[in-house]
Amino acid sequence: MKNVIEINDLHKFYDKGSHALKGINLNVGEGEFCILLGLSGSGKSTLLRCLNKLIDSTSGEIRICDEDVIKASGKTLRFIRRQIGMIFQQFNLIKNLTVLTNVLSGKLGFVSLVHSVTFSYHQADIEAAMENLKRVGLEKFAFKKVKNLSGGQQQRVAIARALMQNPSVILADEPVASLDPATADNVMKYLGELNKKDNITVICSLHFLSLARKYGSRVVALKDGVVVFEGKPCEIDEKKFKEIYGEEAEEVEIR
Amino acid sequence: MKKTEINSILKVFVTDLLFWTYFFGCVYYLIHHWSGLILNTVIVVIAGFSFTIIFSALGISIGRTVHLPTEKTKLKWYKTFWAWSFIAILFLTLMVGWNMVGVNPYKFFTKFGNARGIMTGLFNPNIDIIGICLSALAETIYLALLATLFAIPFAFVLSFFAARNLMPKTLLGNTVYLVIRTIATLFRSIEAIVWAIIFSVWVGIGPFAGMLALMVHSIAALTKLYSEQLENIDDGPVEAITATGASTLQVWIFAIIPQIISPYLAFTIYRWDINVRMATIVGFVGGGGIGLLLLQQQQLLRWQNVGLIIWMIAAVVWIMDMTSAKVREKLLEK
Repeated sequence: MKNVIEINDLHKFYDKGSHALKGINLNVGEGEFCILLGLSGSGKSTLLRCLNKLIDSTSGEIRICDEDVIKASGKTLRFIRRQIGMIFQQFNLIKNLTVLTNVLSGKLGFVSLVHSVTFSYHQADIEAAMENLKRVGLEKFAFKKVKNLSGGQQQRVAIARALMQNPSVILADEPVASLDPATADNVMKYLGELNKKDNITVICSLHFLSLARKYGSRVVALKDGVVVFEGKPCEIDEKKFKEIYGEEAEEVEIR
Repeated sequence: MKKTEINSILKVFVTDLLFWTYFFGCVYYLIHHWSGLILNTVIVVIAGFSFTIIFSALGISIGRTVHLPTEKTKLKWYKTFWAWSFIAILFLTLMVGWNMVGVNPYKFFTKFGNARGIMTGLFNPNIDIIGICLSALAETIYLALLATLFAIPFAFVLSFFAARNLMPKTLLGNTVYLVIRTIATLFRSIEAIVWAIIFSVWVGIGPFAGMLALMVHSIAALTKLYSEQLENIDDGPVEAITATGASTLQVWIFAIIPQIISPYLAFTIYRWDINVRMATIVGFVGGGGIGLLLLQQQQLLRWQNVGLIIWMIAAVVWIMDMTSAKVREKLLEK
């Protein structure tokens, strides 16, 4: 299996002096569905944001599809970023624009500035956007404003936006943390489908172990910026769970 | 001694000094006002300084109450120095203010007759001059509109550089931010009426001078309002659009502008509304429009004409106020 993501000895210090990532080593192969577990503040979000350089890493090496992320800037960085779709806990859509416009914004890395300034898109892009909306079951909502959609629907719009990039990797930063359990499973199902059908590599941070077991092909657990567990989802027993989440933690089963 | 300790001692001392100097300043003003006695004003400072020292030595200090609130005592309020000094200062301030302003209730209640001219004018407005009045009003509305419109592009561009979250945290970024913010604040604190005096000398009396005055003031005010709006935007979409591989300019256009466009419009309409009101005042000092007409008629003592002008100004301001509130409400609907 080819490695899509290679992370070597990655460190991140924030300006205020906190050491968020303490030497992360991690390889993710093509087509994997890798789940990041860990308490809030364990470095999951930081790690995901270092991968597409939304945050500058302090030291170490990140290679995605054989491109050096940390050294990249300008055009090269934009080229790397457009291969990586990203999904956020708060959906991060532009709420007062239509669903279609939001989905089309996923194509911004590909279009010229003039095209984006005049808000004119190629017919092919619009068709692709409608196609992607169909995939997430929202083609009827294309001309509605995002703010009129429910949380689960908004996250599906965000998935369609990421799909516009034809990404080889999708980074999902707690994509279901602000959704109810039923909607959460529904959104995860779409991510799982992309992983299986389109062979997109997914790295997804989660809090629910049940979802990790259902969708993940591998689990990586972080604690205080260090990888404390790496293996198959089924290998996490009670002892491992307490190692990751601390002695007092009890697993909450949400089905 | 630690730096913070020296700091707080200094704060307490300065507060005490200000308190006592103000106290003796008021006393001096009242003595001078009533007895005509002229003393060297240095005596106020000397008295303030020595009372600060004496009372601090006695352990009585306003500054300590203000800056070190942990030293709470359980005394009844009328037993505290703090309460009595507050009452004394309030009383002295009222006395000084009364004399300085020349408050005179007797005049207010007995000299109503002097205003009879303007009052009868107000209730018998001269409809015959409505033509001149309307054209002057149009001048005012248009000059306010142009001042607002011309201010938009300047304020729009400047606001991006005056928004903390958009400026890079480098020396250059901080300098640009500070310079633009300072100039905007400075220009805003100079009233439009002062700008009108400057421009009526510069380009001559007339609506053009008024427009320039309002424009300068509007640029400063809108830059501040716009940039505050920018500082309040949701960072999420910015992050998401950056992650798609969009360039900085594309991020601004897609993730920032859609978030600010309706509040910007709302602020701009509000500004136009303010500008129409200000244009009347600005007209008084040479800015043209209805203000200038009002000034002329008032100096000619044509009270019936003044009456009509006042009613028309009120009507326009009222209509502008209502419509702009309605439009703003629509724009800011979430």
